[in-house]
Amino acid sequence: MKILLIEDEPDLRKSIKQYLHQEGYVVESAADFVKATEKAGVYDYDCILVDITLPKGSGLDIVKQLKDKGSKAGIIIISAKNSSTDKIKGLDLGADDYLAKPFDLAELNSRIKALIRRRNFDGNKSIIVNEITIVPEQRQVSVKGEAVTLTAKEYDLLMFFVSNKNRVVSKNSIAEHLWGDDSDQMDSHDFIYVHLRNLRKKLMDKGCNDYVQTIYGIGYNFKID
Amino acid sequence: MKLISKTLLYYLLISLPLLVFAGLFSYFLIKAELRDGTDETLVSEKINAEKLIRSVKPISTIYLSSDSLSNIRVVNKPKMETRLYDTLIYDLEENENISARILRSHFTVDKINYQITVVKTTMEEEELLEGILTTFTLIVGFLIFAFIIVNWLLSKILWKPFYNTLSQLNKYDIKNHEHYHFKHEKTTEFNQLNDALNKMIDKIYSDYVQQKEFTENASHEMQTPLAVVKANLSLLMQSPNLKEDEMDRLQTIENTIKKLSSLNKALILLSKIENNQFNDTETVNIKTITSRITNNYADVIQSKNINLELKLNDDLFVKMNTVLAEILITNLLQNAIRHNEDNGLISIELKDNQLSVSNTGVPLNIPEEHLFMRFKKDDASKDSLGLGLSIVNGIIKLYGFKINYSHSNSLHRFKVLFKKDLL
Repeated sequence: MKILLIEDEPDLRKSIKQYLHQEGYVVESAADFVKATEKAGVYDYDCILVDITLPKGSGLDIVKQLKDKGSKAGIIIISAKNSSTDKIKGLDLGADDYLAKPFDLAELNSRIKALIRRRNFDGNKSIIVNEITIVPEQRQVSVKGEAVTLTAKEYDLLMFFVSNKNRVVSKNSIAEHLWGDDSDQMDSHDFIYVHLRNLRKKLMDKGCNDYVQTIYGIGYNFKID
Repeated sequence: MKLISKTLLYYLLISLPLLVFAGLFSYFLIKAELRDGTDETLVSEKINAEKLIRSVKPISTIYLSSDSLSNIRVVNKPKMETRLYDTLIYDLEENENISARILRSHFTVDKINYQITVVKTTMEEEELLEGILTTFTLIVGFLIFAFIIVNWLLSKILWKPFYNTLSQLNKYDIKNHEHYHFKHEKTTEFNQLNDALNKMIDKIYSDYVQQKEFTENASHEMQTPLAVVKANLSLLMQSPNLKEDEMDRLQTIENTIKKLSSLNKALILLSKIENNQFNDTETVNIKTITSRITNNYADVIQSKNINLELKLNDDLFVKMNTVLAEILITNLLQNAIRHNEDNGLISIELKDNQLSVSNTGVPLNIPEEHLFMRFKKDDASKDSLGLGLSIVNGIIKLYGFKINYSHSNSLHRFKVLFKKDLL
């Protein structure tokens, strides 16, 4: 999996690169508009992360160029402007997703995975993690072949864990994933716990191992050996 | 006091003493002139009398006028200087004293002494005074009248640009700045005034715009550094062998970053609302939105053991931005959840064009008028940003809705009065 990261802030570029690298992606980066168009024009990527405000140009123009030449890469816009106009413009141009800064790396990761999954129609349509099988298109989960009925939040939580397996995810990033902007004003940790408890119980009832480790103070780790 | 009244007052203050002085002056002047005239007549009559004496050489008294006041008498008195003086004569016919001027002179012809007396009645002082007073009153009256007319005409014509400017200035609304421009005038002073005003409102407007943009720009600029901190924090959390106190610290940092970015987002939202950047409006159904949002929050409400009473009777169609409608209702609901108590109650009622959100909770410990102000919050709600209700208020003001707060039966109640879209 090859990812092109177009971001002008060096520190942010470095951390995103490192995180995605740990996920097993090949990550290349570009710091300005000119370099970004060069790279995007020459190589094929599975996914392109593009910032809107760039030196020497706008990220939206890169999206346009990619779409004009018929690129098959999935595009996620990452912008400091959480403006609905920019979002609509970006999605209209053909971007697949829009993530406002400051975002969580776990969130970015799960968005990239979801995007790649959607793009790989010819590939495997289900995600298999040991005894758990997930069919994202139908939002269906089964353990050892037995279907598990999950609520929307429980399903989202499981997907988030699976996308970020073997990683520590904080309660705040879970809250943000489940609640989006609404999590801002909420003291959401208690009811995350409720959803997590229910999810664990439903999975374990079907004979699933408990993969969720509580990381003291911070959050959880969905640990698959 | 109106400009015209003030001018009139000053005009009167200056002109009245002047007119009084002019009146007195004319009185004395006319009086002196009249006396000179009388005196000249008397002297010429005296000369005539002397001619008469010389030609007739009378031996007894001769009357020179029908009322016998002017006469020539033969007297034995020695010769005296000619005298002119004022006196009062009793008029039998009119039965009153009338003022008169008398000339008494002696004349000697052939050693006979004659006394010549010539009398001329003069106009009475009061009559003169009366005449002058009447004349001057008329003049003053006429002047004031003329002054008012002239001023009225002037204010209609000359001051018209001024009043135009004034009424335009009164209507000035900084939000519609583009519609205001003070016209070029032919009168130099008014032109200068309008130029100065144009410069002034342009300056005020550009300051206003800068001020408005500042919050938004500053908040946007903060997003990227926040993203850097957040990303590095995520990476740090992945380190194996973190000690408990280190994890605690990471958690504290993460919570703080979260709060900071929420604050930032709220500030951006608030300035966007105030800068009127949500200009795409559509017809939204408040009932649908309210029921969707309360549904979203059902498990939060449940986890806090709060009872939710939902009375959404009628559809309510309102013309506004959908995002803002959602934010409005979400913030009211979040407020009701945050300031609630265990086993408390939230009651949401939609009736006609009113949405009321009530909740149980401890009484307010900030003044009611601070409720909608930025960063004014209850001491107890440390996690609150203190911007939720300011955002609500911003949206309310943007669309000209109304909101009021009341507290009764230990329930806090916010009531929003929407403007119905009459489709």
